[in-house]
Amino acid sequence: MMTAIQTDALTKRFGEDVLAVDGLDLEVREGEVFGFLGPNGAGKSTTINMILGFLQPTSGSVSVLGMDVTRESLAIRQRIGLLPEGYEPYENLTGREHVESAIHAKGADDDADELLERVGLDPDDARRAASEYSTGMAKRMSLAVALVGEPELIILDEPSTGLDPDGVALLRRIIQEETERGAAIFFCSHILEEVEKVCDRVGILNQGALVALDTIDNLRSELQTGATVSAQLDAVPDGLDVASVDGVRAASVTDRTVDIEVSAAAAKMDALRYLDDRATVEDVRIDDASLEALFDEYTGTRDATAANDATGGDDGAGGDATVDPPAAADGGESA
Amino acid sequence: MSFATVFRDDFKNTRRSYVVLGVIATLTGFVSLITYSVAEFHHDAFRALFDVSFFFFLVFPLILVPLTYLTVAGDRERGSIKHTLGLPNSRAEYVLGKYVSRTAVALGAVLASVLAAILIGLGMYDGSVDVVRFATFAAITGLFVASMTAIFVACSTLTSRRSRAMFGVIGLYFLLGPFWLGFLPVVSLQSVVTTVADLLGTTLSDTTRGYITLASPTTAYLSGLEPVYDGVIGSGDYPRVTANYAIEGSRELYQENWFNYATMTAWGVLALAASYAKFRVAELG
Repeated sequence: MMTAIQTDALTKRFGEDVLAVDGLDLEVREGEVFGFLGPNGAGKSTTINMILGFLQPTSGSVSVLGMDVTRESLAIRQRIGLLPEGYEPYENLTGREHVESAIHAKGADDDADELLERVGLDPDDARRAASEYSTGMAKRMSLAVALVGEPELIILDEPSTGLDPDGVALLRRIIQEETERGAAIFFCSHILEEVEKVCDRVGILNQGALVALDTIDNLRSELQTGATVSAQLDAVPDGLDVASVDGVRAASVTDRTVDIEVSAAAAKMDALRYLDDRATVEDVRIDDASLEALFDEYTGTRDATAANDATGGDDGAGGDATVDPPAAADGGESA
Repeated sequence: MSFATVFRDDFKNTRRSYVVLGVIATLTGFVSLITYSVAEFHHDAFRALFDVSFFFFLVFPLILVPLTYLTVAGDRERGSIKHTLGLPNSRAEYVLGKYVSRTAVALGAVLASVLAAILIGLGMYDGSVDVVRFATFAAITGLFVASMTAIFVACSTLTSRRSRAMFGVIGLYFLLGPFWLGFLPVVSLQSVVTTVADLLGTTLSDTTRGYITLASPTTAYLSGLEPVYDGVIGSGDYPRVTANYAIEGSRELYQENWFNYATMTAWGVLALAASYAKFRVAELG
């Protein structure tokens, strides 16, 4: 299977002091939705700019759809769609003209009106100057531009920002439609809830290095952040020992409610079966560890690691930290 | 295809802005005013072009500033460049499309102003309006405008900040215009050249000074307008025209009209080429 994006030891320095991206090894597979996360200044934008050929890597390489970005940039841009973050459209061109521009540049046979309708931009608005657009309208227009030519890879940089709830739902639906068509989506966002809903895998970037790369479920398992199961029973039987179930980290009882912390997804059902065998379970609530909690775990650990590196005087270990999860001891915080 | 996309988008975006209206209105207004004023003193309409040419030399490049300084720097600062270069448009097509678009607008302004001058000439002047002289003037001025637009767009291409682009373009205007021609007696190229020659213990021949003086696109423009006054120079009808264009003795290479046109062309081409060479590998993040 061809990779949509592949970076090998990708590094970008600005001057002598700023190491924006540090030996990044990343693979985005064909047809997947990949979430790219990181706090401000983590190096996400720099990475995207290198993927697009806007910035030259200091070292390492990037290939997109099997092509080298430095040598085959035009061919790549013919086959990808881009929704850039934080840019102002051409103020005196209409939304429709922006989309027509993309159709013209790609030599595609899309219908601009159909694309604009698909992203929910009203036909009257589509014929107004883009300078009059709200952030959400400009975002919808940019999404329409990104969809031109049925791209094999769509790079969405903060696509939810400025969208109303309807817009966010529409974005999610379009992402699903595009992946069903076979496109890969590179989804860069700081709205973790959105990433959690749409992404197959995520990569978390911190201080220029990839600190996590996996499915969200696997990251939960690796960190043992798991989930919390709250079960309300008709009566709490004597000698209840849910903590003895494999995968259960801790349990407590308050009135008729049993709160169980599990470290792995599979333990949720095991714990519930244990309760069901001994009492009548009247109500259940399950709270999975949010991506935000995972994000905090990874980026917080990385901060500590970086501080240790700084005192130790060795900053050459960026590649080592690429996908190692934080130490298990850190997992205790989330329980 | 991509060049056409960039050109079309930029031309539409530019012509719908108030900047274009301002450029065309200002230029046409001033040229009309000059043509109207000169009618009181001369009976041939083309004589007004002599005064208009100094306006083009001295003021029009300043009018070009708002049209050109944000051509690329503005896109980079606003991030709009990500729309264009996120599509399969090469950087060369981007710069060339932008340049041709802005030049087309500037040439439109020149054409409008010359047409206005012809109309005023038909109504105000006693003598006939020599359309060939006006057309010759428009063509040479068009070359000058294309050259200056290239220089200013090149300056815009070299920076990602609008403030730097503004200072750069205005600085180039003063360097290539008033400073080069010697509008200010002390702060002029001739003063600098003389001082340097003195320090080196040498003197410059008139020929060398001639080459230096006409090496700017602005001075080359003024000198290259000679064909507009064909048959008039030395006739005694228009002494100021004769004083500016009559050549005593043998004609040097730098005094050939084609040399002036080559100078303007070279400035435009080299400025764009040099700026593209840097922009081609520029970091756009």
